[in-house]
Amino acid sequence: MKFQLKRLYFQIILFFTANLGYPGLPGLKTGFCYPFFYCQACPAATSACPLRSLEQSVDRGSFSWRLFLYPLLIIGFLGTLTGRAVCSWACPIGLLQRGTGRVARKVKKFPFANKLGQHRIEKYFRYTKYILLISLVFVTSYLIGFIFTDICPVGFLTGTIPTLLLNPGKFLPNYFFPVAVVIFILFFVLIFLIERGWCRYFCPIGALLGPFNKISFLHISVDIKDCTHCNGCSYVCPMGIDVPNMHRDPECILCGKCVTACPMQHITYERR
Amino acid sequence: MKKMFAVQVVASLLVSGALAGMFAFTPVYTEVRSGIVLVLCLSCLKLEPNTATDFTFETADNVPHPSFILENLSKGPVFLHYSGDACAGCDIMYPVIEELFSVSFGKQDMFHTLVTFDNATVGYIYVNIHHTIDELRDAQVIYDKDHVNGIPMFTIVTLGYDNGIVKPKYTTVYGTLATFGCNTDAQRLAFLQQLMKESIDMYHENKAGYHQY
Repeated sequence: MKFQLKRLYFQIILFFTANLGYPGLPGLKTGFCYPFFYCQACPAATSACPLRSLEQSVDRGSFSWRLFLYPLLIIGFLGTLTGRAVCSWACPIGLLQRGTGRVARKVKKFPFANKLGQHRIEKYFRYTKYILLISLVFVTSYLIGFIFTDICPVGFLTGTIPTLLLNPGKFLPNYFFPVAVVIFILFFVLIFLIERGWCRYFCPIGALLGPFNKISFLHISVDIKDCTHCNGCSYVCPMGIDVPNMHRDPECILCGKCVTACPMQHITYERR
Repeated sequence: MKKMFAVQVVASLLVSGALAGMFAFTPVYTEVRSGIVLVLCLSCLKLEPNTATDFTFETADNVPHPSFILENLSKGPVFLHYSGDACAGCDIMYPVIEELFSVSFGKQDMFHTLVTFDNATVGYIYVNIHHTIDELRDAQVIYDKDHVNGIPMFTIVTLGYDNGIVKPKYTTVYGTLATFGCNTDAQRLAFLQQLMKESIDMYHENKAGYHQY
């Protein structure tokens, strides 16, 4: 079986596993945190969003070390083993972007989209996710009680929309709804415009997982000495990484597209 | 290479050891399950239940009223206020309730007091679901008439007459009361004052027969 097809099956299985919490089917509600981005407000969610736990741990000047450490340790556990592979192998939003990535690749052929993805400030723009993580998850929660999950586009997609669809007429929008709709539309435009745009620039959980690429057991290794610099790997990379020159790049989601694309098999998964 | 391997082993041992320790020696699993997974923060959901203020006798799944409600009900109507941490809706409603009953308390405290409202005694019980005891947390499901499981949630328990028997009767409203057209603190306050007056009138009408229950 082709490697990327295996990954697709893995993503689909994990998507259903993450959604075993719908009442009666089988209604599994656990006390774990997801190691990826998924909202506990989804009627079928089994676990909590790690950001929710982090925000609650620093709510308005308080500090709960348990709620703070717990999601970090779950993410850290998987991070030390597999780095950011969670983003491409387990995350449902990653699965969604895998679908929209095809469109984004076609859009990339238009000059404006191509320029957007290759602008010289693009690499600095990737730090936005770290800024979002620190500012909207920790600082505003601690200082003024404003939390990222109130306007979260992933929460809107996986929590608000399914709740509205499964309970027609039971709920009405609240004051955060209009803002969340605007952010959700921007999110959707982004993932159709830039391949893995959410993972590249805005995902706070990607920001938590990224640094673990530096020390993870599993990583992608490039044999640079024998590389012919055909650039096929960089072309297929959904994260827009310069693959031959990367070494444990925090942006790498270990999807393995570069591994399968390399005609000389100079790119491999390494376990140490 | 050996140095990197040592770092990897130490990091993975530290993280997995700390995680195992948290599961074994702290209640974090239960805390996350009961405080995050099983309870919806309505402001995070960006929705509010489209509910009505009708008083009803039937508790969710016909579970009996908890003893702490019945004890308080002998003195007057009971106002049960469910709130939580990191909940914008709870933060909006918190000062409104403080003004409604002229009380002041910490947002993470458990708080119970008897207040005078409209010349009647009202039992006010504040429950922060993230800092409370099981008995109070479990009562949320009993009064969750629309099966929302969300915070903020407000329940008023009073007395009603049903086929010759005076019984506890209650209503529950959720969120920031946007469903009822309340968009300002003044509107929220006026709405809750009206609801309280209605419950006090019902209580006075039926109080004499309450011993029959």
